[in-house]
Amino acid sequence: MSSTPAQNGRANTPSRPPSSTPTSSLPPVVGINFGNSYASIAVFTKEGLAECIANEDGERQIACAISFHGEEMYIGNQAKQQLVKNAKNTITGFRNLLGKKFSEIPQSEHTTSAPVIQHPELPDTPAYKVQILQPAPSPLPPSSNVGTPAASHVPTPKSEPTPAERILTVSEVTSIFLKSLVQSAQDFLGKPIQGAVISVPATFTDAQRAALEKAANDAGINVLQLLDDAGAAAATTTTPLWAGENLRPDRTQLLVDVGSSSVALTLLSVREGLSYILASSNIPSIGADQIDDKLIKFFAADFTKKTKVPLTVCPAPANSPQDQRAEAKLRLAIEHTKRTISASPGAATCSVESLKDGMDYTGTINRMRFDMLASPIYAAVAKEVHTLLTSAAVDAHDVDEVVYIGGTGSLPGLDDRLLLEVGLREGVETPFARGTVVGGGVGDPTTILARGCAYQAALINSLGDSPEEKELREAFTRGHKASDVKATTKTLGVLIPNDLEENKELGGTWVPVVYKETALPVRRVVQFDVELNEESKRLALEVWEVSEGIRIEKVTQSAPSPPSGEDDEGENLDEDEEPEEIEVKHRVVTKDTLLGAIDTQAKLGVKTKGKGKDAGKTFTTVEVQFVVGIEGDVEVEVREKGEGGVVERVHVSSL
Amino acid sequence: MAAVQVLPITTPPVPASYKSPSVPSTSRISPPHPSGHRTLLPVGPAYLNHLRLSLHHAHSFSSLDKHLAAERERLAALHKDDAAGEDDLGVGSEKETDELLSLDPKEWKKQDHYAVLGLSHLRYKATEEQIKIAHRKKVLKHHPDKKAGTNKDANNSLYLAGVNQNTNDDAFFKCIQKAYEVLTNPEKRRQFDSVDPVFLDLEEDIPSAAEIKAKNLDFFKTLGPVFELYSRFSNKQPVPGLGHIDSTKEEVEGFYDFWYNFDSWRSFEWLDKEVNEGSDSRDDKRYTEKKNKAERARRKKEDNAKLRGLVDMALSLDPRIKRIKQQEKEAREAKKKGVTPGAPAKKTKQQEEEEKKKAEEEAKKKEEEEKAAREKAKKAKAAAANAAKKARRQARAAEEAGAQS
Repeated sequence: MSSTPAQNGRANTPSRPPSSTPTSSLPPVVGINFGNSYASIAVFTKEGLAECIANEDGERQIACAISFHGEEMYIGNQAKQQLVKNAKNTITGFRNLLGKKFSEIPQSEHTTSAPVIQHPELPDTPAYKVQILQPAPSPLPPSSNVGTPAASHVPTPKSEPTPAERILTVSEVTSIFLKSLVQSAQDFLGKPIQGAVISVPATFTDAQRAALEKAANDAGINVLQLLDDAGAAAATTTTPLWAGENLRPDRTQLLVDVGSSSVALTLLSVREGLSYILASSNIPSIGADQIDDKLIKFFAADFTKKTKVPLTVCPAPANSPQDQRAEAKLRLAIEHTKRTISASPGAATCSVESLKDGMDYTGTINRMRFDMLASPIYAAVAKEVHTLLTSAAVDAHDVDEVVYIGGTGSLPGLDDRLLLEVGLREGVETPFARGTVVGGGVGDPTTILARGCAYQAALINSLGDSPEEKELREAFTRGHKASDVKATTKTLGVLIPNDLEENKELGGTWVPVVYKETALPVRRVVQFDVELNEESKRLALEVWEVSEGIRIEKVTQSAPSPPSGEDDEGENLDEDEEPEEIEVKHRVVTKDTLLGAIDTQAKLGVKTKGKGKDAGKTFTTVEVQFVVGIEGDVEVEVREKGEGGVVERVHVSSL
Repeated sequence: MAAVQVLPITTPPVPASYKSPSVPSTSRISPPHPSGHRTLLPVGPAYLNHLRLSLHHAHSFSSLDKHLAAERERLAALHKDDAAGEDDLGVGSEKETDELLSLDPKEWKKQDHYAVLGLSHLRYKATEEQIKIAHRKKVLKHHPDKKAGTNKDANNSLYLAGVNQNTNDDAFFKCIQKAYEVLTNPEKRRQFDSVDPVFLDLEEDIPSAAEIKAKNLDFFKTLGPVFELYSRFSNKQPVPGLGHIDSTKEEVEGFYDFWYNFDSWRSFEWLDKEVNEGSDSRDDKRYTEKKNKAERARRKKEDNAKLRGLVDMALSLDPRIKRIKQQEKEAREAKKKGVTPGAPAKKTKQQEEEEKKKAEEEAKKKEEEEKAAREKAKKAKAAAANAAKKARRQARAAEEAGAQS
């Protein structure tokens, strides 16, 4: 029995090889987080951990953009820069159009990038039209006998490239882009990539998934699995590295994915590595783009104030190309500003050269003002979280962990606001509370998905080719029947009778072992210490099924309330004058069914020496194993840890 | 086995008044959510195990445990192969003695480069790959960057004893680099191997002829390893071994033939005296070089003589030579008597040679005879031709005479 906390078992994957493993055994796989505006890639490094890697431009967040300029094609962040001067030949936001028909795409009149058009040949297919320069055919070599004498000995210069139009379908664009991502990973690893796992949003339809897979195959990528964003996040958060030491393996997890154009919320039940979705929602009306717009407006106003140059943005008037260009420039510049805001508590600058009319702009914004600007978006997210929890009938107090995904998730303001407004319990685990957000920590919201995909790719890649393993491989596809499971409805555990004051209601200390909503079959082992009476050495346990609830206690508080946010201090002042009632939530346990009881005598026991408060008392370590079968039969084994310890069993037959 | 969650719980003893409740035999857990109520996310090792459990092991944890244990073993075995065959190449890790760690890089000429790289079990047999791997291992362990800040246990006994144990000091790292430099350069490695300290030690242990006779040592067990030791210096590989008591005459002769014509690559540049760095004097340098050259030649000569002496000694002690001589004698005597014994002794070389000679002689004779016969025939032919000429001449003379008359 291993003493290290691990998953439900250990898959035989090379995903966490021992450190002595040579570099050559790194799994040649890549995890791709393919977002609508940004993508990221992760591979396994020498340390045996999945790491998000930078592409050739040094970018870990690779903009999903392709730009054509003359004979050149730019991909990624370089392409994004082209939005300023070469917007009509720059393609962005193509992922969400994958697998859609032209008629299904809402025709918005306001796009800065290359417009989506109907493909001239293929029916009902969206495409992009870009202007490129086609390289002219190379001149005939001077030696070729063309019949006319050469005018000079100088070789004929190459003709000028000719302007041409290129029509690209969404699928082609995606192929080009994915290929460049895989190429980056390949360059990093120094060997060909054998497989990839690509993340897709939960809202993707089957047609869209098929289109993505086809585009990836066209790019020469072997797609091991298309993984839902929630799945990719779960793959990262169930690794031992994420859990660290103080995170329980059984927890309810809230995923908050703030994308640029939509917010996806998922409530997950994580049970020793096995996870399933309790509830999820996707809100396309909220997104980080709105924060961008507010920020751009703020800086534009600041610019006008400083320089007296009028600037209208978001939307920029159609008849003013200067304003449009200024907006595009600001949009690029605030990426940096947002990252600075996330990373450091100080003020962040935004600098744009020649923003409008040749005037440069440099402005700063501090966190407080930024949070004020973003406040409506934060509030909307918080409201949606509340709605989700209500629909799933899960009390906010029961959420054990919050995980943020996406660049906006790195904003500490969002975390503060959510904790406060949703009413999550104190001490809820967030990457911010654990301090793993900044500095490329495990909780970095921008890399979670890519790393999850890489872990998953390594896992699937480790499966062999035997029929059994093939069957397993298949079970990783979406909607496979093996992923449908039975789950427990109530929590099972043991009660150790004692007369402690705080346990008066239950009559002992309650140790939950198998939590509710755990997939069957399940095996759980817990270990804890029990004090023994020195003479009798009596060891007693009761096995119970319980229901858990929440008791709300109203506490009247006359002291000034803690500041509920820095942005509304004014309101606080008014409220401070009268005493406030605060709701304090407690978890309560109600005993439902007694399943078994054990009353025996311990055989081991160690007397504590020294002068501590436990000195002179006798303790023994007890290990309790629960196995709940697929039919609801329960097998409980209580074992005193150590050689010759007492072993007792309780069996509850199936329903 | 499943992972154990260690809970930070300690409970007080059971109160004396506690009575164990009676459990109704009908108690069951509440019915679980039906299948399909929840859909697992197909991610992570835990899901893989769940799949194995439900698809291949009929939900039996014990069966899965067995499978996983077997799988782990299989992988471990696989990995062991990897470690031995692929990445390690049998370099392994040798214990680093304090003596080794306290080497002075300035005295690099005197250090045992194989021991420094942890290759003393392979020595001259180490391949380039192995040297590379060994070097990498040592560098990872002893690089000064790794050592910085780990100099906490400075008050251990070795430190106090004045042994160079200062881990921040990169002395041993320099030794490693020097060793790697020497062993990766084929020329330098050859020079070092020529005077390999371990070889020199072993060389001293070679017993003399008198010793072997006096102590009545086993010829093959004593000298076999000695020749094996020297065989490393041969330009021609493989080198014939000493063999065993029943080796055939050809084998024995082949062995001595090889060792008397031993082609050695051993050289003694390693022991050269350094040219005095400080002096710019050309004469000084030339003088040293000349001396070194002479010294090298002397050593080489000595080495050759030593080896020759060794082979001579072996030849003089070899029990097989006696046997072979005996056999030859018997064969000669048997021939003299002209009686072929019922069980003919092995054909000795002499016999063979005699037979060969005989055959040759016969062939010669035959040839001569043939030659003679040919000459005879030629003569006869010539005579016949002469006779015919004569006859024609006579006939012509008779005709002329007839015409005149």
